[in-house]
Amino acid sequence: MTSKKISVGVVPLGEVPDITLQVIADHITGCFKLSTHILPLFELPENALDGRRLQYNAAIIIETFESIDFGSQDKIIAVLNQDLFIPIFTHVFGEARQGGKCGLVSLYRLAKNSDGSIPPESLIHERAAKVALHELGHLLDLLHCEHKKCIMHFSGAIDEVDDMLMNLCEYCSIYLRDKLR
Amino acid sequence: MDKKMSVMIVDDEAIVRESLFHWFKKYGHLVETASSGFEALEKLETYPFQLLFVDIKMPGMNGIELLEKIKSDYPDTIVIIITAYGSIESAVKAMRIGATDYLLKPFKPDQLSLVMERISVQEKLVSQYNYLKGHLDKITRFDNIIGQSPAMEKVFSLIPEVAQSDASILLAGETGTGKELVAKAIHAESRRSHLPFIAINCGAMPESLLESELFGHQKGVFTGATRARKGFLEVVSGGTLFLDEIGEISHKMQINLLRVLEEKKITSIGSREPVEVDFRLISATRRDLKKGVAEGIFREDFFYRINVIMIEIPPLRKRKEDIPLLVEHFLKKYCQETTKYVDHVTRDAMELLRRYDWPGNVRELENAIERAVVLSKSRTLNVEDLSFIRPPDLKFSKTLSLREMERAYIRQILEDNNWNVTQSANVLKINRVTLHKMMKRYRLKRP
Repeated sequence: MTSKKISVGVVPLGEVPDITLQVIADHITGCFKLSTHILPLFELPENALDGRRLQYNAAIIIETFESIDFGSQDKIIAVLNQDLFIPIFTHVFGEARQGGKCGLVSLYRLAKNSDGSIPPESLIHERAAKVALHELGHLLDLLHCEHKKCIMHFSGAIDEVDDMLMNLCEYCSIYLRDKLR
Repeated sequence: MDKKMSVMIVDDEAIVRESLFHWFKKYGHLVETASSGFEALEKLETYPFQLLFVDIKMPGMNGIELLEKIKSDYPDTIVIIITAYGSIESAVKAMRIGATDYLLKPFKPDQLSLVMERISVQEKLVSQYNYLKGHLDKITRFDNIIGQSPAMEKVFSLIPEVAQSDASILLAGETGTGKELVAKAIHAESRRSHLPFIAINCGAMPESLLESELFGHQKGVFTGATRARKGFLEVVSGGTLFLDEIGEISHKMQINLLRVLEEKKITSIGSREPVEVDFRLISATRRDLKKGVAEGIFREDFFYRINVIMIEIPPLRKRKEDIPLLVEHFLKKYCQETTKYVDHVTRDAMELLRRYDWPGNVRELENAIERAVVLSKSRTLNVEDLSFIRPPDLKFSKTLSLREMERAYIRQILEDNNWNVTQSANVLKINRVTLHKMMKRYRLKRP
């Protein structure tokens, strides 16, 4: 993974701590060796809020962001503090489409452990970075991976996010390297 | 879920189709969507999708109707029903019709993941089953005939070849080698397979009875003939007649059968009206009929009539490499029948099974395994469980008279062969009738 051609913009959607954005950007650079830029705040699209579920519809946010020109940024990772869903699912930690331009990371459910306790801030940052890397992986056309420790493994529960390591497995690394070549 | 599948999402709501479409794309599956049941059926006609996610509530054709159609036209297609909390009864109905699972909207992402995991395991098992079944079919071709030795391979290759013609076949082999199974396999492979297969043991009945059985009789032609009866040569009508122990039939019967084979007509006992018959003859013998011909015991013309094609079935002692395979087969068979769980044979026990000469051939081996399974107290058969198959112990007491010793020896052989007279006679190298006489003389009866 030596390509520097792809640039990733990290965008806060509404109020998001700067430190969280920085951690995500640093991990993208560290793990995927891609250049990153933290972009100015964007407001959440109002029509993305589902009044009945009181959650934000990821599909609508992605559609909105896909049409925005982010200049030199090839891929966008948007971070929000709100609960996110895609129709049919109760919730998602993040969302991105295969080979798409914009991925989402919701911090809402990352700030709670499976037993209801509050995790330390460092763990929330670690989880946010993992979800961001996972979604960016999809934007770069990586598929879900069988290896439970790989960052591209699907995690439906917060414990599974914690079980993942902060990197790609051997196979996904090779795939990404070929993609970026 | 390492195996990529072809998935179709059937839902009238575009947003649901889109959500699931993108979710499955992330796994690398081939994904297609359909907005109605009709569209789904159209797409199924052009591509064999393995898995369908179907919403129950759809206008036009609802999910249940679509499921019924899929299960009737494409029974192997896996269908997962998506339903809202309100329509749980429909979900239960869908499961009864054949849906593999159902999901209540909205569901957690890991629930869908779990369903996919289960489908993947199921698919893997199906594919393993198909692989093993194919492998098993190779080994156990033609019903229960088991073997992978070159000798049996030769028999296996001959069966489909000879099955296509109507030529008479003579199966030569010792008792218990599976001659009737081979005859059945030939019949099953032949164009007559949908017609009757009738097996008659010529050595098991006196000549007059055999004649009556084969040719039939008119009412009142002999004592006990209270009504007319069709013979098997007529009843078999277009099918296959299997005459076992053909070497045991009398000269007169040989002539009668020869005439039938040449004229394709029979006349039942007491009748003057010949009836046309059509059958394929398969005969079997454990004797050397050529030698019988040379000695004048067997008619030469009849021998050549029944021996257009000869298949020699090797005795078990000449294909000992098949013994482990046969043992495994019989273990499974008798474990199922007796509901006991015996699935192993110790190395020593297998060695014993391989060393023994099996004069009663596969039948004797089968009996031995059945007996061992029934009496075994563990899941592994050991040498002790098989002690009864040891060759007869000839160390009799020196105080026994010759008559007592002969009685004891015959009894032991009979016991070793599960009181099967033909097998025992074979071991003793005497005629079966002689053994019967000796059993009568020594008052030997199956306990």
